[in-house]
Amino acid sequence: MKFDRRLFFNFDWTLLVLILVISIVGILNIYSAGNSLDNLRQETLYIKQIQWIVLGLMLIGVIICIDYRFICRFAYAFYAISILLLLLVALYGYATHGSQRWIVIGGFSFQPSELVKLTIIIALAKYFDDHMTEKSYSLKELCIPFFIVLIPFLFILKQPDLGTALMLMFIAASLCLLIGIQWRSLLLAVSGVLVMVPFSWFILKDYQKERIMTFFNPEDDPLGSGYHILQSIIAVGSGGIFGKGYMKGTQTQLKFLPVQQTDFVFSVFAEEWGFLGGLILMIMFLVLILWCLKIAMNSRDLMGLLLSFGITALLFWEVFINVGMVLGMLPVVGIPLPFLSYGGSSMVVLMIAMGLLLNVSMRRFVLHP
Amino acid sequence: MEKRNEQLNGHDSGVFRKRFKIAFAVVSIMMSLLILRMWHLQVIRGDELRQRSENNSVRLRKIKPLRGLVLDTNGQVLVDNQPSFDIIFVPTRTRNTDDVAWKLRNILADRSLSLTSEIPSLGKKRWIPPVKLDKNISVEKLAVIETHTSDLPGVTVEIVPIRKYLSGEMTAHIIGYTGEVSPEDLKKDADSGFSVGDITGKDGLEKYLDQYLKGKSGAEQVEVNVLGKEIKVVGKIEPVSGYNVVLTVDASLQKIAWEEMKDKAGAVAVIDPRNGDVLAMVSTPSFDPNLFNGGISIDDWEELSTDPSHPLGNRAISGQYPPGSTYKLFVAAAALEEGLITPDTSFNCHGSFELGNRKYRCWNKHGHGRVNLHRAIVESCDVYFYNLGKLVGVDKIAKYARAFGLGQITGIDLPREKSGLIPTSEWKLSRFKEAWQLGETLSIAIGQGFDLVTPIQLVNAYGALANGGTVYRPRIVKRIETADGRILQTFEPESKSTLPLSKETMDILTRALWGVVNENGGTGHALRRKEADVSGKTGTAQVVGMPDDKTGSKRKIISAKFRDHALFVCFAPYKNPEIAIAVIAENAGHGGSAAAPIARKIIDTYFEQKNMKNKKDQPLTAAVTHSQTGIFR
Repeated sequence: MKFDRRLFFNFDWTLLVLILVISIVGILNIYSAGNSLDNLRQETLYIKQIQWIVLGLMLIGVIICIDYRFICRFAYAFYAISILLLLLVALYGYATHGSQRWIVIGGFSFQPSELVKLTIIIALAKYFDDHMTEKSYSLKELCIPFFIVLIPFLFILKQPDLGTALMLMFIAASLCLLIGIQWRSLLLAVSGVLVMVPFSWFILKDYQKERIMTFFNPEDDPLGSGYHILQSIIAVGSGGIFGKGYMKGTQTQLKFLPVQQTDFVFSVFAEEWGFLGGLILMIMFLVLILWCLKIAMNSRDLMGLLLSFGITALLFWEVFINVGMVLGMLPVVGIPLPFLSYGGSSMVVLMIAMGLLLNVSMRRFVLHP
Repeated sequence: MEKRNEQLNGHDSGVFRKRFKIAFAVVSIMMSLLILRMWHLQVIRGDELRQRSENNSVRLRKIKPLRGLVLDTNGQVLVDNQPSFDIIFVPTRTRNTDDVAWKLRNILADRSLSLTSEIPSLGKKRWIPPVKLDKNISVEKLAVIETHTSDLPGVTVEIVPIRKYLSGEMTAHIIGYTGEVSPEDLKKDADSGFSVGDITGKDGLEKYLDQYLKGKSGAEQVEVNVLGKEIKVVGKIEPVSGYNVVLTVDASLQKIAWEEMKDKAGAVAVIDPRNGDVLAMVSTPSFDPNLFNGGISIDDWEELSTDPSHPLGNRAISGQYPPGSTYKLFVAAAALEEGLITPDTSFNCHGSFELGNRKYRCWNKHGHGRVNLHRAIVESCDVYFYNLGKLVGVDKIAKYARAFGLGQITGIDLPREKSGLIPTSEWKLSRFKEAWQLGETLSIAIGQGFDLVTPIQLVNAYGALANGGTVYRPRIVKRIETADGRILQTFEPESKSTLPLSKETMDILTRALWGVVNENGGTGHALRRKEADVSGKTGTAQVVGMPDDKTGSKRKIISAKFRDHALFVCFAPYKNPEIAIAVIAENAGHGGSAAAPIARKIIDTYFEQKNMKNKKDQPLTAAVTHSQTGIFR
């Protein structure tokens, strides 16, 4: 492909800077969250996080060089690979905290369920781009996309990882709402889900039920699953307006908080930086998400639109569910906070997704060949 | 149908634009909800929650679970738990730690006592993690500290369960020992579920079955006052005890084997040839696993790990010895089964065998005269087997030795098993880049040279012949039970392969082994007894060829190290054998005189017990129950 000067001028510096700033906040925060752990582990935590971010940025560099339309040609191949990885997890994966989510590839532990979040977005974008209809979709026409999501959904539910499984559904639902569903079909789907809910209760693992129950009444069980929510609320609230200061959060440093470097990383931040810090971070996330929506809206073609909207949906739902959980508004499910939670798989996948957004953004004026 | 792409070209497609507007609104509203919630928690409820965090004097304390018990086949408890009193210092924010440290030092110094670690100085830090000052303290120290707790804020006595190895040195190598999880294990995987101070198996079954034995930690929410003194327990999740492990080992046989071996170096492995059950397994010199309880002292560890006689290693599964004449069985099996000899094939032994200009000597320098296969095994004639070795060749011998399970791990359920070595010409070529020499075949034909076996391999191989040709995987764990006696998992005997031998060959060989013990001139004659007709094979393994050192004085000192290893492998009774034994006594001399009597004691005990059981017709099991003792129950 000939180098187009416009690509450079149209490069979305705002998005890149936003990502970098939030990632740096994330590193500082993990450094603090890890402070109460043993020395050796703290070191590995934040240094590893930096390594993931650098790796992610290099991947962004590669991805923006290739037109996203070309990348999306291999959508189903990516999808197949990620399903294969999920299968490997089910067969050979290893478990932590009672859930089998990891496989080791070349010495690295990797969580294919994170990758699937992105590959189903690409696969759905490709499918809808290929099968565009004039009118809104009916349920029958959504059958194939439904199965595209259902396969990984079941795999991940089996691990069990309810949070990530639901995340796939949220992403798919968001995309469907964007491309348009017939009112009748929408009503049917919603009522179908409502009917399914009581049944799904029986599929849930005990610990998942417990978490959902204690969400409604955390004080009932201050030691078991309610402990997470309660300690998190105390941590956030005790931060007050101005926070307790960097590395001075007592909840964090005294290890009252559970998994404070991953899913509950926001409570560390809110405790130490207070409402003002939290507000600024939330505004940064809001700007980031709206900016991504704008990229989707302004994309040159349907493929770009669906791709970037799917990614935006992923970003939004993760932020909303994670922070909502930390603030005690939603049940505890294992969803990481984008750019802030410690974790290689989610960070690298997120960076690749951001690379695709930058890709769509800088090619918004390029006409079809 | 027209593609909608065209409509999209100017980023202004009506229907999408409307939906994007909705999306913008939804995102903004939902993010605002989060911000409102933050406002609610941090600004409106901020003071209240800050208060709560400061009074968050509720500490989460891990309760260590009881590790599972280990029981012998009759239900006798071999490993139990006992309480250990540890002294912990939990630094408080309100008090000066240096002050407490000074007081504690003085109180103890008055009675000339001390703790292993001092209370660390807080320095400039706001907070340091709790420190363990001493573990498994004496009653005296405990009394002193308990009476002064009000003067020593932050100093608490914690009761944690530690192991109690009731059978001590006797079963040290089977059961292994435990220790605190190592920093490497912690670093390997941040999510391993381990935390500092957790107890984990380090060797033996403690290591092999750690996931069953370890149990699950509980937790306790304890409310403490500003001085760090506990006021009450707010909530508690009970720890779950580990699973109990029932072994195939019979404690009384184990005891006899230990009594016989404890002053020697070597190993004894006893199995039931009918299913591969390990009835006893002793390795000497041994160590006291109780030294490891609550962490071994540096001095003790130094002594154990640098001891040249390697007391920590389990010789029964990882000691690799030249099999000596016990190997002749496999050479004979190869020669018969390959059709190279008949039982009547005989060779003349005049005390040595010449190959080129080298003389290979028979242990009997006067020679055995003309001997057939039966007499050659009974009298352990080396020259006969030099002839067989030359006839069969190294690779065929290796084929049969491997069929008996030699040269590979047996797969026993214990860690760190070694495979031994059964050489082939190919092996030597790849290992030394040299061709195999015929002289080497002669050496291996009598179990010297490169040949290496472990005691468990040897007893398992003879066991396979005894049971009529089935090679079992030796099994030491019979079943795993929950703490309340529910059976969780039963391990069935597992046959690995069948010997490639005809019934005739096996009969010839077993008769010869019977002759070793029961015929005049047999090398295991000392073992002959009426009650149980034992069959077996002696062996004497040369540790080195004659060492050629010049200084006579030095030679005397080291000579004990170079004395031959005594081996004896046997099974009994002749018909339907139910016990097989391998004994290796290092540097003890001849197999018949040094190793066979040990096997004899074990066989005697086995049959005495069996007779007693038959008389009473009442199993011993009823006498002992699976109760956990100590203050924990």
